[in-house]
Amino acid sequence: MSIVLYDLVKRYGEQTVVDHVTLEVADGELFVLLGPSGSGKSTILRLIAGLTPVTAGRVFLHGRDVTDLPPQQRGCGFVFQNYALFRHMTVAENIEFGLVVRKVPPPERAKRRDELLELVGLAGLGRRYPGQLSGGQQQRVAVARALAFAPSVLLLDEPFGALDVKIRSQLRQSLKDIQRRLGVTTILVTHDQEEAFELADRIGIIDRGRLLEVGTPDQLYHRPQHEFVATFLGNANLLAGTCEPDRVRLGPLSLPYPGAMSQMDAEGRAEVLFRPEDLVLAPERNGLNGPALGAGVVEQVTFLGPLRHVRVRLDPLPGTWPLPLRYGEEGIPLTVALLSGANGTEEVRVGQTVWVGIRRFHVLPRIALRLLIGTDGSSEAEHALYLAARLGQDTGGSATVLMVGEGRAEEALRSHAGETLKTAVADLHLKARRGELGAEILREVAQGEYDLVILGGQADPRRPWAGSAAAERLIRESPIPVLVAKTPRPAIRRVLLCLAGGEPGKLDVMFTARLARRTGAMVTLLHVHQDGEPADTPEDARPDPWLTRQLERGRLTLLGQGVRAEAKIRLGAVVDEILAEAAEGDYDLIVVGGHIPSHLPAVLERDVAAEVVAQADRPVLVVRGKLP
Amino acid sequence: MVSRLLIGAVLLYIGILIVAPVGAIVHGAFSRGLGAFLAALNQPDVFHAFQLTLILSAAAVTLNTVFGVLIAWMLVRHRFRGRGLVNGLVDLPFVVSPVIAGYAILLLFGRQGWFAPFVQVTGIRVAFALPGMLLATLFISLPFVIREVMPVLESVGTEQEQMAHTLGASGWQTFWRVTLPNIRWGVLYGITLTLARTLGEFGAVLVVSGAVSGLTETATLYIFRAMDERQYLSAYAVSVVLGAISFGILMAMEGVKRRLAEERRLGTDNRRRRMALP
Repeated sequence: MSIVLYDLVKRYGEQTVVDHVTLEVADGELFVLLGPSGSGKSTILRLIAGLTPVTAGRVFLHGRDVTDLPPQQRGCGFVFQNYALFRHMTVAENIEFGLVVRKVPPPERAKRRDELLELVGLAGLGRRYPGQLSGGQQQRVAVARALAFAPSVLLLDEPFGALDVKIRSQLRQSLKDIQRRLGVTTILVTHDQEEAFELADRIGIIDRGRLLEVGTPDQLYHRPQHEFVATFLGNANLLAGTCEPDRVRLGPLSLPYPGAMSQMDAEGRAEVLFRPEDLVLAPERNGLNGPALGAGVVEQVTFLGPLRHVRVRLDPLPGTWPLPLRYGEEGIPLTVALLSGANGTEEVRVGQTVWVGIRRFHVLPRIALRLLIGTDGSSEAEHALYLAARLGQDTGGSATVLMVGEGRAEEALRSHAGETLKTAVADLHLKARRGELGAEILREVAQGEYDLVILGGQADPRRPWAGSAAAERLIRESPIPVLVAKTPRPAIRRVLLCLAGGEPGKLDVMFTARLARRTGAMVTLLHVHQDGEPADTPEDARPDPWLTRQLERGRLTLLGQGVRAEAKIRLGAVVDEILAEAAEGDYDLIVVGGHIPSHLPAVLERDVAAEVVAQADRPVLVVRGKLP
Repeated sequence: MVSRLLIGAVLLYIGILIVAPVGAIVHGAFSRGLGAFLAALNQPDVFHAFQLTLILSAAAVTLNTVFGVLIAWMLVRHRFRGRGLVNGLVDLPFVVSPVIAGYAILLLFGRQGWFAPFVQVTGIRVAFALPGMLLATLFISLPFVIREVMPVLESVGTEQEQMAHTLGASGWQTFWRVTLPNIRWGVLYGITLTLARTLGEFGAVLVVSGAVSGLTETATLYIFRAMDERQYLSAYAVSVVLGAISFGILMAMEGVKRRLAEERRLGTDNRRRRMALP
């Protein structure tokens, strides 16, 4: 193995840029790190080259641990995105630099320089200055300079990013040739998937500092394991369907899939991926040679040269919905690729009804929620562990227990938390910290990737915030939903989703759908119409028709995700009515959205979420939408 | 019509402020012919004064270039406690009157000064001697190299230096082969500014030196004394020579400035090329 990264971590203050990356790159391999900008891929290169110190983890080059060595002693050839050529030196001097500082004798230097100029196709340009070269030529100089001293590995940071499209593909080919000829182990960083497909022996997909998946381009494209990988690489049609023994069901259609049950989540759902070219179109059902997904209307036809992308909105299928979830949308949007010039494709017109058939599909591993449970060993924290165990069982996700405490208490906590959750959650992590619970949870949320924070809360309404200062802080500051576990309920069967204040939030509806889908709960959407101000006309007293419509859209969204839902409107003071409804309906969970329109007068800008959490006697989930 | 008036006004303004004084001095210097001009210069006092000025300037330029580049590098490349304070203090010589700086040195190294014991023990005289004059000159010319080099260092960035590291260059090799060539025009411009400033310095040196003829008298101090003693021809002659040197520096500065601008333009051009693409 030429390059081995072991559990590499880089943090800048609170922000984790590289998150426990482990990777092996074989001798002579061209490995491409692919990810969106800001995903930390360039930082990984800098960690390998020694330009940035690691926070934790080790870097091995050809079996040698170089983690603590300066860049000079690592022997990595590096090419920056903007090449960083020495502007005051000629091309020849640039290429020879690595040899000059190594005190290689001049004749040898000249020979090596000429070889490299030849190799990158710049023979005869050695006397020019970088400023006199085109962008493509500068890039070649940078590559030649990095290769001159025969580096042990070659690291390229977006080497084609600064070039125009035409030169780009030309240089890609020549880079691949050079890499093959020299057999130098190479890592190339890019955000361009086309580039990755064209160059890579293997690709590593990186998102928010985490290396999600590694594989050949073919594997990652056709058989991805993560939703992110599926949607980041190429066009993806992702549908959530149901599992049966050795079959996957999408609406009325049942597809054979050996081992399907292992891919499903607790509710028997599975994610099914269709690439645009995996789908076929026909004007009639009989025209499809194979299983039909359903009929739909053509919404858009995009010409892409060799291909045509046809956007079809499929009629809703029972028990099936598109991923990622879309708010208030009806039907299932699909992108189908047609070969331009293929028989009959010219007839596809916008507005036409077509049948969509399936040629090939892939089932992604189970969808899961990642829980973070904060505990300080108090009796309230017990509720959190109990509720997490319930949710873990239902959702089949991972759970991390963050213990904030001191010394021996911490150990006891560790064994106890382990016992409570071990049987319920397959993927369990225990972490211990010292400090203040709320602050430590916020730090962990910022660093790790979680979908939901769970922590304990005092159920006594007379002492609303006793022992739960952390909860008070988290529901105000946490970027992800926070579930305050009060008196535990045996199961989550009924959920009260409160669309408090102004516009019903989208995030709260979506997240509730996600949760309810896995727990099989019934959701009641509640809007409380304030009676605070006396109405001038009878019309004012009635709920805004726009609001009623929003409420109905929310309900339809839930129904579309396979969640049973009803809508209710109550009149009165917001918090009181929410609590009254919760008690009357004996709900297992109250969900409060955090949307507070800023144009409201200050008096009305009370934090409904905080008040509900303070006064409720049952678990409350706060889903705060991003403030505008 | 208006533009003609404006052009006239500008010419008149420059004429009164620059051409007339220069003309008057040149006229004064040569009023009794070239022979008298040369004779006025050919005096031991004058010779010594120029020698002293050149020694002080050369020493100040050397020291302030070395330390100036070092300080600029520290301020740009490192984030340390008190960085803001140092950054602000560097500009102090711009705003403090040179006379005050001179008095400060006297207060430190004078007979009752803080460092008087040091002076007594070592026997090195600072006030009213060359070391004090050098200190004063260093003080007033400190900011030039720093202020010229800092923006250049900033615009060059660290990538080329990091590149050199990955190619195997040590810190020292990187400085001489990559960093310094990149900032050389900035350094040179800073040097010419420092030189011009030190050659013409008067106030601080006057206070510190005591202006002893033939001992601690620089060219500017000589002019001042000559005027005082009504040796107008000597004063004019020395002024003309000093002015000519300054004019030469001015011309050199223009050349350096053009190279600097060119370098910056090339730099930004390059950056623009990088940014413009999708």
